[in-house]
Amino acid sequence: MNIEKYDKCFKEIFGDNAELNENFKFGAAPGWDSMAHMELIALLEDTFHIMLEADDILHYGSYENGKLIMKKYGVEM
Amino acid sequence: MFLDLDKKKADKLAVVDNAGHRITYGELADLSIEIGKKAESGSLVFCLCKNEAGSLAGYIGFIENEVVPLTLSSKIDSEILEDLSLTYMPQYYWVHEESVSLVSGEIIFSALGYVLLKTDNKRYPLNDRLQLLMTTSGSTGSPKLVRYKKGNLEANAKNVAIAFGWTEEERAICDLGMQYTMGLNVINTHLYVGATVLLTTYNLMSSDFWDYIKKERGTNFTGVPFSYDIFARLRFERMDLPDLYTLAEGGGKLTDKRYMELSEYARKNGKRFIPTFGTTETSARLSMLPAELSSQKIGSIGRAIPEGELFLIDDEGNIIDEMAAEGEMCYRGPNVTMGYAVCREDLLKGDEWNGEFHTGDLARRDEDGCYYITGRKSRFLKLLSYRVGLDQSERLISERFNIECACTGTDQRMDIYITEETLKDEVLLYISEKTGLFKNLFKVFVVEKIPRNDSGKISYKELGKMIR
Repeated sequence: MNIEKYDKCFKEIFGDNAELNENFKFGAAPGWDSMAHMELIALLEDTFHIMLEADDILHYGSYENGKLIMKKYGVEM
Repeated sequence: MFLDLDKKKADKLAVVDNAGHRITYGELADLSIEIGKKAESGSLVFCLCKNEAGSLAGYIGFIENEVVPLTLSSKIDSEILEDLSLTYMPQYYWVHEESVSLVSGEIIFSALGYVLLKTDNKRYPLNDRLQLLMTTSGSTGSPKLVRYKKGNLEANAKNVAIAFGWTEEERAICDLGMQYTMGLNVINTHLYVGATVLLTTYNLMSSDFWDYIKKERGTNFTGVPFSYDIFARLRFERMDLPDLYTLAEGGGKLTDKRYMELSEYARKNGKRFIPTFGTTETSARLSMLPAELSSQKIGSIGRAIPEGELFLIDDEGNIIDEMAAEGEMCYRGPNVTMGYAVCREDLLKGDEWNGEFHTGDLARRDEDGCYYITGRKSRFLKLLSYRVGLDQSERLISERFNIECACTGTDQRMDIYITEETLKDEVLLYISEKTGLFKNLFKVFVVEKIPRNDSGKISYKELGKMIR
């Protein structure tokens, strides 16, 4: 299931205790700084065999918004 | 006036920030003088810096009125700030109004979103020549500071501006924190020539940053290796950035691959890529590689800036005369600071370095006199360009968990050795939190015991063998 793979990427970067919900946002969620964002994007790209455009990396925004972005690349949750 | 700010065109834009301030040279000169006068000359002020006009105006005003600032990050860990406050007992704090709760004191003035607080600490004697203090290892909270003397900042501003060929037409993008030696250098060099500084607190990984530099037509950018990792990830070579002409790099070593990509990008697009090298102890930049050489001298930090001199010494401390050679890189010039301070009393000390600094970096010099950093003598890492002291990290962990600990590693990752399996995750989280750096930059190894030599010192060589 894609949603499980998606969550697994987040847990790998932010730890098993990360509360993945609509409040989990770039710049606000604990540990989600630019370094972590780079790692997250790299991991998502590897996991789903996609390559994100700069605009989508910059506008990734949050755990929830990211799902919409993934959809653009054919990854349905 | 400091940096001759009062002699620039008064109506020219000096500073822009993303909080909405747009300040001309005339306003900056007047306002900073006003701020500086609110504090008593010869006292010490902790500036909790943020890349905003208020932070900058305070720094200039204090220097102008001979109040000595210690520049710290506004995101500093509160325990580390408390330790520094207890060690150096500042008479004032200059903080953003949103961080007032971090410090205590009586609010006596405010401007541009910044607030001046007066503490109960009594003034104590400072050296006459002392102008500024900066941390060496801010993130691990070492109380060790670098003591800048009068003249350091202005000499460096002038010589770096000459080396880069800056004119008042530049609109410099400054996203590196101004409490960080290279960030401050970007500011000083551009104010020196009467150019415009575009301060920003936006994250390079946000569209806000890119919108801001496009809207404000930034002409040059100074980044650390990690900045350029982000650029590469965003495939910035495909972005349309017509105003951006110079890309400068410093604060750590780029991989050869990245170095070549940047030099290639610059060549193809009619832009400049300029690698530099600097240290806090030399008021930032001490060398640069001319843009036209960046495609031939991959990985080089170039030659000394004007009025400076680079040289190599061997293990015995003798100057190496041969041109092509390797040794410890040393520098002589008017931007060399006075020395370190680890306690209040040290702030009375005079110039201990007399214009000469041994960097602790090992370097190779080629037959054309260009330098290449090859390694390091002393015990610190540069994680994402932040200098992280290994001894301080050991101390932090040992004290917090009451355990034995040894830290080593490379600029890519710090390796932490402990003997308690159960504390593995906690140690990792703790050091990541204390340094404010992503946890994957650290790795914790559990070993049976920390190996020590006869005199009780940790044997780092043995340590490396234990996990292989």
